[in-house]
Parts: sequence; structure tokens; C-alpha cells
Amino acid sequence: MSKQETIVRCRGLTIGYGREVVLRGVDLDVPRGAFLPFVGPNGAGKTTLLRAILGLLRPLDGTIETPFDHAPPGYVPQQKAVDPLYPLSAEQIALMGLYPRLGWWRKPSAADRKLLDTIFDQLALTPHRRKTYGELSGGTKQKALIARAFLSGAEVFIMDEPTSELDEPSEIEVLHHLARLSREEGKTVLLACHALDHVAALAEHACLVNHGRLRLAPVNDLRPVGSPIGNRQSEIRSEEGGT
Amino acid sequence: MFHDIADLFAMFPEAVIAGAVIATVCACLGVFVILKRVVFIGITLAQVAAAGVAAAMVLGLSPFLGAAALTLATVTVLAAPFETQRIPRDAVLGAIFVLAAGGSILIVAKSGFGLTEVKSVLYGDLILTQRGDLAVILATLLPALLALVLFWRPIVYTFADREAARVLGIRVFVWELAYFYILGIVVSAASKVGGALLVFAYLVVPPSAALLVTRRLVVAAILSASIALLCTLVGLYLAFRFDQPTNHVIAVATFASLLLAAIARLVASIPRRRARTRR
Repeated sequence: MSKQETIVRCRGLTIGYGREVVLRGVDLDVPRGAFLPFVGPNGAGKTTLLRAILGLLRPLDGTIETPFDHAPPGYVPQQKAVDPLYPLSAEQIALMGLYPRLGWWRKPSAADRKLLDTIFDQLALTPHRRKTYGELSGGTKQKALIARAFLSGAEVFIMDEPTSELDEPSEIEVLHHLARLSREEGKTVLLACHALDHVAALAEHACLVNHGRLRLAPVNDLRPVGSPIGNRQSEIRSEEGGT
Repeated sequence: MFHDIADLFAMFPEAVIAGAVIATVCACLGVFVILKRVVFIGITLAQVAAAGVAAAMVLGLSPFLGAAALTLATVTVLAAPFETQRIPRDAVLGAIFVLAAGGSILIVAKSGFGLTEVKSVLYGDLILTQRGDLAVILATLLPALLALVLFWRPIVYTFADREAARVLGIRVFVWELAYFYILGIVVSAASKVGGALLVFAYLVVPPSAALLVTRRLVVAAILSASIALLCTLVGLYLAFRFDQPTNHVIAVATFASLLLAAIARLVASIPRRRARTRR
């Protein structure tokens, strides 16, 4: 990847739960402004790695350097992370993203409200803004979490399968918006996804997470030769097996 | 009825004010007891506080201090991450509840108290609220309510989406503990006159009624407090009018409010169901 300011640096990283090691020996430098997908099959460790980078999971070994203590990232967890029992509207969920600026007490400014309106329009969330999180469909829940990340105005976005429940047009739109943020505004985007299908055209590099290892490579190197539509999980697995 | 309530207020001003404050604050805090699915913590803390009141009275200490010492110790024990241990948190809660319920009986059995005093220690009696009890209640519950209002946002974010809250820089362990310490202090201060049953009723029943009829968290808290307040006034009036035990009448009144809320929700859903059937 290009030599720019590094925003996430992992050295000799081993992560897992208890005694179970999920990934080992991870060395990774993510430069500012990168659009970096993490691909691999279920259970490969994509989510575990992102949680470690976010500071939610203590590494078993190695180090992770991030600027998140001072500037929290925009985080999109898997949609089940929010307890649907809480009667919080889609709008209130999105406004959580402003907490680092507003703290306990301050109210969102007019500019914040305007930005919220714009993001909700972009994501076609406006008709659902007053619905509680529990009332939203899977895709709309994901959009509310994406809106929260966008509203935060963070420099880094970390997203765990942010489009898994979206319909195809919405998925393409969200991914292109993320790529645009990376390209035009220098935002850094790390996202876990099952397949390269929709991100292959947007990213230069991707991280393949499989068999307890991480491999950073140009996207084209991860695509099977002679397969214009390739990049499905099974194909990634077989390609990895062949290396 | 209003005339009777005026008479009641004239005769037992401390009871009416204490009942109103306990109802309001417990019912607000109770919204999180329901949403966080920790109803068992409500009854356990109430029972532990009752045991603390009994022990303190036998030892000639302040009932509030006895209750606070035991409830805060319980909250501290419960703060341990039991989910990662071999037994769930509920099992620990159950064990503490059994100890508190049995212990409080054993303590008063050896106390030499008369029957009325024993009943008062074990079940509380709002109508017997003294000026000193009211002072403790006001000095404890009103700051607790203020703290809940002030720290509403980090507490809600911590409970609704713990991981995202951590990423946003919220110290979730601190806020969770803060909420449970506030709950412990409130239950301790309310237990001498409220008793375990009424405090538990306020923590669980009005919040459930409110959450049945509204989809807004702040509205649910305000509505829960309003329902608890109304049940307290109605309960006090009925107990006074028909010479019944005050706390039990109020507790039953809170259940009636839940029933009414369930009926209201059912009635409100009829047009929606009809529309769906027509489609």
C-alpha cells in the first residue's frame, strides 16, 4: 500500500478468546485514506480482528496502535449489537454518533440536525426516523447504524459486514459512498465482508482472513484467474488453499 | 376522594410526601430494571435492604445505614463479570435473595420486637413515616433522581449498545456501576417505610405499564413515574378509607395500572389489526 501516514499499526498480533487463538502473527499498516476490505469465510476472524483494532478485545500477544483514544472511529457493528427492547428511534440511534462532541448534556446543533437530515435522505431512512430500532427491518437497522457512523464525522470508519442485510442497490450505494469518503475526503474505511463482489472495483488492496492468518494483497491477486465475476467465498478459500 | 386525600395529607404529610417521592424515583429507575432484564436484581436489592433495616434496628443503628451497607455490598458483588464464570448472575442473585429473606426473619425473631414492630421492619409501612425517615428519603432520592437525569445519555447508551458506547469513549463499566449504586442507595433509603414488596412493585410494575403504552424512552420514564405517583395517592386513599395495609393496597393498585395499560394497548391495536385483515 502507498507510503502515507499510518493510522492503524498492528505488530506481531495474536488475537482470540481465552485460550483459543483466532488469528496469529498479524502485521498490518493501514495508511490514512485507505479503503480496505477484510474478506474471508464465516468464523475466519474478520470480526475478531476489527474488534481488536477498535480496542474491544485485548490482544493475546503483539501490539495495536490507533488514534482512537482521542478520536473515536465511526463504528458499524453487526445489527444485533443494539438491544431492540430499548425504545430508541432510528434518529436517536444515529444521534449516538455525536456523543464524543456533545457529551452528557449538550444538544445537537442546527448544523448537526441538517447533517442528520441529509444522511437520512441519502440512506432512504427518513420515513423510518421515528420508528424504534426494534420495529425496523434488518436492512433498515443496518442503515440506522451506518447513519450513526456517518453522523459522527469520524476520520476512520470500521464496519462489520455493514451491508449484509441491504438490498443490492442500497449495498452498492453505501459502498460507493464509503469509497468516495476515502477517495475525496481522505477518510479511512476498514470493512469486513464475506465476498469481494461489490468492493473489488472500489478497493486497491484487500485483506484475506483465513486459516488463522491474514494476507494483505492487491485486489486483483485475490481474484481467481479467468473468473470475471469471481471472489465468492469458496473461490477465495480454494485460492488460499493453493498458496 | 379529594377531601379524604386532603385529610390524609393533613394527618400524615410525611407519608404522602415520602410515598410520592419513592414512587417517582423508583419508577423512573425501574424503566432500566425492565429494559436491562434485571428484574431479579430489583427484588433481591429490596430484600437485602429489608434485611439491612432489620439488622440495624436490632443493633440500634440507623436503618438507612444498615440497608445501604448491605445493598451497596451486594451491588459491588454483582458487578463481577459472572457471565464468564461457571454460574450465571441470576444464580448468585437467587442465593443472595434466599440469605436476605431468611436472614431478616431470623434477625427479627431474636429481636424481642412486638408483632407490629416486626411487621413494620419486614414489610415497611408508608403511613408510619416519621420526619426523620422523610429527611433521609428527600436527602437521598432527590439527588439520585438528579443524577439519573444528568447522566441519562451515557447510561442509556451503555445499556442499549455497550460495544458502540465503548467505541464512543463511554466508560461503560463506570456508568453501569453508577446506575446500580444509585439504585442501591434509592432502594436502601426507601426500604424502611416502603418495605421490600412496595419498593419492588415500584421498580417493576409502573415501568412495565409505561413501556406497554409508549415507544419513547423519556416518555416511558415520565409516564412510569406518573403512574406510580397516581397509584400511591389512590392506594393511600383506599387504605385510609377502608382501613387496609397501605403498602399492600398501593402494590395491588400498581398491578391494576399494568392491567389497564395492557387493555389500552389491546384496544389501540384493534384498528391496526382490522386494517391488516382487510388488506
